[in-house]
Amino acid sequence: MTACNSMKAPATADVAVSQAAVENASQADGTEFAPADMQAAREKLALAKKALAAKDYKAATDYANQAQADAKLAQAKAGSAKAQSISATLQEDIRVLRAELERAGSQ
Amino acid sequence: MKNIRTNLVLASAVLLISACASNPKSTSLLDQVRVDYVQAQGNPKIATYAALEMQSATEALAKANAAAKERESLETVDKLAYLAKQKIALATEVASKKSSESEIASSAAIRDQVRLDQRTQQVEQARLKAEEAERSAQAARDAAAAATQQKNLAQDNEAQAQRLAAEASARNTQLEAQLAELAAKKTERGLVITLGDVLFGTDLARLNADGTRVAQRLATILQQNPKRAVLVEGFADSTGQTRHNQELSERRAAAVRDALLDMGVARERISQRGYGESYPVAANDTAANRQLNRRVEIVLSDDRGVITPR
Repeated sequence: MTACNSMKAPATADVAVSQAAVENASQADGTEFAPADMQAAREKLALAKKALAAKDYKAATDYANQAQADAKLAQAKAGSAKAQSISATLQEDIRVLRAELERAGSQ
Repeated sequence: MKNIRTNLVLASAVLLISACASNPKSTSLLDQVRVDYVQAQGNPKIATYAALEMQSATEALAKANAAAKERESLETVDKLAYLAKQKIALATEVASKKSSESEIASSAAIRDQVRLDQRTQQVEQARLKAEEAERSAQAARDAAAAATQQKNLAQDNEAQAQRLAAEASARNTQLEAQLAELAAKKTERGLVITLGDVLFGTDLARLNADGTRVAQRLATILQQNPKRAVLVEGFADSTGQTRHNQELSERRAAAVRDALLDMGVARERISQRGYGESYPVAANDTAANRQLNRRVEIVLSDDRGVITPR
C-alpha cells in the first residue's frame, strides 16, 4: 500500500466528521434505539483512527465514511422510533379521551 | 429521479451485455442494495419527506454501479454498495420520522379538539344539572305556596262557616224568641202557630184586630228569614155537614193567607190547605172543645223552605 501524503488532510477531516457523527448519534439515544448500527459505527471509527495512525489514508477515509453512514442511520432510527412512540401515545390519548367523552355523554 | 432511474437501467443493461468478464459485474450485496433501492422508490413517504436523503442514496448507488461496471475489485464494489445501503436505510428512517412527526402534529390538534369537546360537555352537563336543580327548587316553592294557599283557604272557609253558623244560630235564637211570643209549638213538622177561632171576624173571611197583629208578627218573621216558607192549614169542628166544614176550613186558611199577602209576603212562600173536620185537637163534645177545633195552624218551614206534609 503506497500512501500518498496528499490524502492525509482529507482522511483526517473524514475521521473527524465521523467522530462527530458518532457523538451526535450517541447523544440522540442511538445506542438505545439502534444498538447494532451504533456498534458498527464505533468499530469502524476505531478502524479509521487506526488506519489514520498507520498513515493508510485510503482505508481511513473508507472506514470513516462507513462509520459516518452507520452513525447517521442509528441517529435516524432513534429519531424515527421516538416519533412513532409519541405518535402512538397521542393516538392512545385520543382514544381514551373519546371513550371518556362518549361515556360521560351517555350518562 | 427519472434520470437516476434511467442511469440504473443503463447500468443494468451494460452489465448484462458484458456478462462474460472475469470480475463480477455485481455482488450479492449490490444486488440486495438494488432491491432496497426499488423498494425505497415505491415508498411514498420517502418521496414526500426524504427527497434529499434519497438523492444522496441514489448518488451512492450510482457510484457502486459504476464501480461494478468498471470491473473494480469486489471489495471496492461492496464498500460503495454498503454506503448506498446505509443511505437508503437512512432515507427510509428519516421519512418514517417525519411522517410520524406529521401525525403527531395532526394528532395533537385532534386531541386538543377532543379535550375541548370534553370541557364543553362538562360545562353543558353542569348547566343542565343546575337547571334541573332550579326546576326542583321552583317546584318545591310552588308546592309550598300552594299548601299555604290551601291552608289559608281552609282557614277562610272555616271562619266563613263559623260566621254563618253564628249568624244562623243568632237568627234561630231571635226567631225562637219571636215565635215564643206567638205561642209557637215545636213539633216534628216544625214550628206550628195556632190561630184560634177568636182571632177571626164574624164572617170568618178575615182576621179581626188581634188576629191581624199575630199575622203581622208572622210577616215580620218571614221578612227576616227569607228562606223560610209557611203552610197555612185550616180546620173546623164536626158540627154540620162535612162539605160545609171543608169549605169553612179552607176559608179560614185563605183569610190568613190573604192577610200575609197584604203584609207583603210573596205568594210563592205561602201554601194553604183546608182539612175540614179532620185532625181535631179535642173531642167535639163541648162548646169549648169545639172552639179549640175551629182553628188555623201555620207551619213554619225549616231554613231550606221545606215543610213535611201531613
